Amino acid sequence: MILVVDRLTVKRGVRTVLDELSLEVAAGEIVGVVGPNGCGKSTLLTSVAGVLAPRDGRITIDGASVWGARGDRTRARRALGYVPEGADPPGFLRAAELWALCAASRGCEPPTEKLRAALGLDEVADLALDRMSLGQRRRACLGAALLGAPKLLVLDEPDNGLDVLRLGALVRLLKDHAAAGGATLLASHDAAWLDELAARRAELGSDTTRTT
Amino acid sequence: MGVNRWLSVWSRAVIGPASRRAAGVWVGAVIVGAVIFGPTGLQPADLTGLALHVPAVAVVLGMTWLLVFLPIARLIVRADAAAYLRSLPGSPGKAALLGGLAILAFQFPWLLVWTLGEGARGAALVAGWTIVIVLLARWRPIFAAPRTPRWTRDGQAMRGVHVRALRRRAGDALLRGTGLALLAGGTAGLFVRNNGVVGADAAVLGTCVIAIVLVPAQVGVLLVLIESHRQSSWLAASLGIGRGTRVVSLAFAIALVHLAATALALMAAALVIGPDPATFGLLALTSLVAAIGSALGETRALLGAEHLESVASRTVSGAVVVAAVVVLALGTLGMPGLLAILTSGILALASVKP
Repeated sequence: MILVVDRLTVKRGVRTVLDELSLEVAAGEIVGVVGPNGCGKSTLLTSVAGVLAPRDGRITIDGASVWGARGDRTRARRALGYVPEGADPPGFLRAAELWALCAASRGCEPPTEKLRAALGLDEVADLALDRMSLGQRRRACLGAALLGAPKLLVLDEPDNGLDVLRLGALVRLLKDHAAAGGATLLASHDAAWLDELAARRAELGSDTTRTT
Repeated sequence: MGVNRWLSVWSRAVIGPASRRAAGVWVGAVIVGAVIFGPTGLQPADLTGLALHVPAVAVVLGMTWLLVFLPIARLIVRADAAAYLRSLPGSPGKAALLGGLAILAFQFPWLLVWTLGEGARGAALVAGWTIVIVLLARWRPIFAAPRTPRWTRDGQAMRGVHVRALRRRAGDALLRGTGLALLAGGTAGLFVRNNGVVGADAAVLGTCVIAIVLVPAQVGVLLVLIESHRQSSWLAASLGIGRGTRVVSLAFAIALVHLAATALALMAAALVIGPDPATFGLLALTSLVAAIGSALGETRALLGAEHLESVASRTVSGAVVVAAVVVLALGTLGMPGLLAILTSGILALASVKP
C-alpha cells in the first residue's frame, strides 16, 4: 500500500470533521473522495498532505508516518505531491520559482519537457501566481506537485478551473502516474471525470464518520 | 453619472486611501518632531537653517521626506484605484486639481516646519521639492524578467521566497522605511552633535535614538515578511520543510531588513556628525550588533503572533518592546548592554516551539 489512513480523527475547533476514518490506496490506484460539501474531503486531504495535524489515528505514505518522528515525516512528505483546493501558494512567486522551491525540497529537477508540454507550463512560467487565472494557477500547482514523480499525489479538486484540453492532459498524466506504480488520492464533484480516470470511489457522508 | 458624483467616487478611491497613509506619516512626524524639537530645544528655524547651510543635513532631510511621501504621492498621481472611472464621462481636470491640493495638504508637517523656519522662502522650497516628488511618482520603471533561481536546499529556497516577498510586496514599505532610516540616522547624528558627546557615550546615545526611530521604519516591512511566512506554511508543511528551517529563514530576512536600515541610518548619522572616525566606528559597531539582537527578538514576536488575527498590532507592539529592550540595556549597562541585547534575542528565538 502506498497510502494507509488508519482510524483518523480530525477536529476543526470543537467540530469533529473526521471520526475514525480508515482508507487505503494501493500502488497504481486512483481513489476519488466524493461526498457533499462540508463532509470533510479537503480536511482528509489536508491531513494526508501533512498540513493539518489529526487529533488521533495514523497516516503512512510508502511506510513512513506523516505525523510520526522527524525522519519519517520528512520521508513521507518527500514521497508526496499536493495541490490544495484553493491552489494558493504565495502569490508574489512566479510559477518557475514555485517549481524551483519544490525541486530544491524534493531534490529533483524542474519540470520535464513532457510535463511542460502536457500542462502548458511554459505559458505560465514567468507569471506571478496572483496574476494568474484559477486554471493557470491550478496548472502551475499541478506542475509543482508532479515534480520528481512522487509516489502519492494528493489533489483537491484538480479539475476545477481547467479547460477541456488541460483536463484531458491531466487524465493522461494521472493514468501514466498510476501505470508507473504511483497512487493518487483526489477529491472531485465531477462523477464523469472520475469515471474517465477509472477512479475507485471513497464516499464520505454528511456527518463525521466514514470508513471505506 | 454627474461630474460631482464622478469626483466623489474618484476621491473615495484615490484620496481616501492616500489620506489613511498620510495619517500614518503624520503620526510618525509627530513622534520624530517630539524627539527633535522637544528635549533638545531645537526650533524649526534651527533645523531649516542648518539644512540650508550644511548640505549633508539638507540631503538627509530632503531624501527622508521624498522617500516617506513618495508612496502617498504615487497613490494620488497614478490613481490606479480609480482606473475604472476612466471609462466613464467625468472630469479628469478637476480630479487632477483635487489631487494636487491633496498632495500639498498631506505634506502639512513638512510644510509647517519649512514655513515656520523660513517663511515664504520655505514654502517655495517645499513647492519645488513637491514637483520633484510628483515627477518621480509618475515614473513607472520597467524591470527585466528575473532569472529562475536554482535553489539546492530548503533553507536557501525559503530565504529566497522571503527576499522575493520583500522585492515584490514591500515596495512602498521599503521606500518609506528607507526615508525613516535616513531620518533615524540624521536624528541620532543631531543628538550626538548637539549634546557634544563622543566615543562610547555617543555610540550608546546614537544607537538608542536609531532603535526608537527605526520602529515605524520597519513595521510595514515586517508585516510583509510574516505574511510571506504564513502564506508559505502549507507549502512548507507538505514539502517536509522543517519549522526550524522556516524560523531561521524568517530570522535571516528580518536581520537583513534590520541591518540594511541600520546601515542607511549610519550613513545619515555620519553625514551629520562629521569627521570623527573613532566615534563613528563605535556607533557602527553598537548599532549593528543591536540590530542583530533586535532582529532575533522581533522574529520571536512575529512567530508568537503568526496565527492571530491581531498580527499587525502584535507586530507593532513587538517592535516597540524590542526597541525598549535596546534602550534599557544600553541606557543602564552602557556598551556591555550589547551582550544583554544579543543574549535576550538568542534566548527569545530559542524559546520558539519546534
